[in-house]
Parts: sequence; structure tokens; C-alpha cells
Amino acid sequence: MADRGRGTFRGMRGGPASASRGRGPQPTMDKPKREAILDLSKYVQERIRVKFTGGREVTGVLKGFDQLLNLVLDEVEENIQTESGEHTRKLGLVVLRGPTITLLSPVDGWEEIANPFLAQDGA
Amino acid sequence: MLPLSLLNAAQNKPMLVELKNGETFNGHLVNCDNFMNITLREVYQTNAEGDRFWKLKECYIRGSTIKYLRVPDPLLDAVKEEQKMARELGRSARGSHVSGSGNRGGRGAPQRGGRGGMVRGGPTRGGRGRGRGA
Repeated sequence: MADRGRGTFRGMRGGPASASRGRGPQPTMDKPKREAILDLSKYVQERIRVKFTGGREVTGVLKGFDQLLNLVLDEVEENIQTESGEHTRKLGLVVLRGPTITLLSPVDGWEEIANPFLAQDGA
Repeated sequence: MLPLSLLNAAQNKPMLVELKNGETFNGHLVNCDNFMNITLREVYQTNAEGDRFWKLKECYIRGSTIKYLRVPDPLLDAVKEEQKMARELGRSARGSHVSGSGNRGGRGAPQRGGRGGMVRGGPTRGGRGRGRGA
């Protein structure tokens, strides 16, 4: 009896969940803009930089992601900043937990620069 | 004037975002959502000490890490004007129908499609708001 109850329960859980993931109730225009504001698919196979709550920082090649912003990165390097300087340590293939990610940007087009605001103030 | 309405209306406008850890980001707002998660483009990042700077093509910032956002002053007037227009449009469109009772007036908000963001065609979505309220 208990087994049967569990069985049906699990079946139900699987059903609607997968249905909603398949955007079942989505297009009813009740929720016009529920989609993510960041299209991660454009970064797949590209190197990205990710910061976490607490201040840790890694770079890696994006292999996969989900709607919770959990990421799969490969060739991951953690960038560690200490008072004696910066260094990296290799982590390899990693799953990053979405809710702890605070900042995400592509490494391509990222560079340290001189103070860009001084010029503006002077002008 | 709701904070997220203002933020929504700030799309494509330059802004400064300071995070709780003191880092700042100067860039143009690309998109935002109701968690205040935002995406910026052409970003200048400054570290918390204010002595190092980076240029980023684009970046995504988690809303819960934001301390504040500075937006251009003229935006306030623009949004006010927009809301006024939308309110008037909304009145003329369905003013006679369903008296403005209860939650209707509460917000005084013109754009009941708030969820959907400050879409310029806002009023057309008004019907939805009524449905939710009832």
C-alpha cells in the first residue's frame, strides 16, 4: 500500500515537472517575461570569469548550464589574490552552484586598464 | 515610482552599480529582472579600494549582491511622463468599465503589467492586471 502510494506520487512529480520545463504554462502570455535575462548559450565553449559570494573567483570554459544558473566549466582555474600577489590553481572540470554566483563575464574583452575616469574629469 | 519600474525604464541607459563588497560597475544596462539581476555592456569595473580598473565587454550581476544603482537624473522625469501618459490612456480605454475600486487605486500605478517591464505599449496589457486583482 505504502509502496503504491509512493509510486504514484513519484510519477506525478515527474510528470508535471518535466511538462513545465517543456514550457507548458509559459506561452499563455500570463507571464510575458520569465525567461533569463542572460543568454548563456552564447558563451558555450567560451572562457568566462565567475565570481562567488565570499570573493572567490574562477575562469573556465563553459560547457553547460541550467535555468538556476548552475554551470559546468572545464579547464577551471581559481584566481587567488593574496597580499603577496596573485596566483592560480587548477581545478579541472567543475560544477558551479548558481545561487552563489555573483558576477559572470566573458574573459574575451576583459582587461585591466588605467583609471578611465581621470581623463573624463580632466576634460 | 517603484524602484524596479525605474530600473526597467533605465534599459540602454548608462548607470553605476555598487555591490555590497564595494566594487563598482559603470556600464549601459542591457536587461534586468524582478530579482534586480542585471546585465551590463561596455563596463568599467573598479575594485573596492578604487585603485584598480578593468574593462569588460559585458557582465551579469546577481541582484542580491547590489548595494545601490545610480541612474541618470532625467530618467525620473521621463518615467513620470510615461506613467502619466499610460494612466490617461488606460482611463480612456476602460474608464467606464469596472469602477476604480479596491486594489485598483491602491498603487495608482498606470502600468499594471509591471511584471512585463516598462514596455512602451503598456496599457494594452492592462486587462491582465484587472484579472489578477479580482
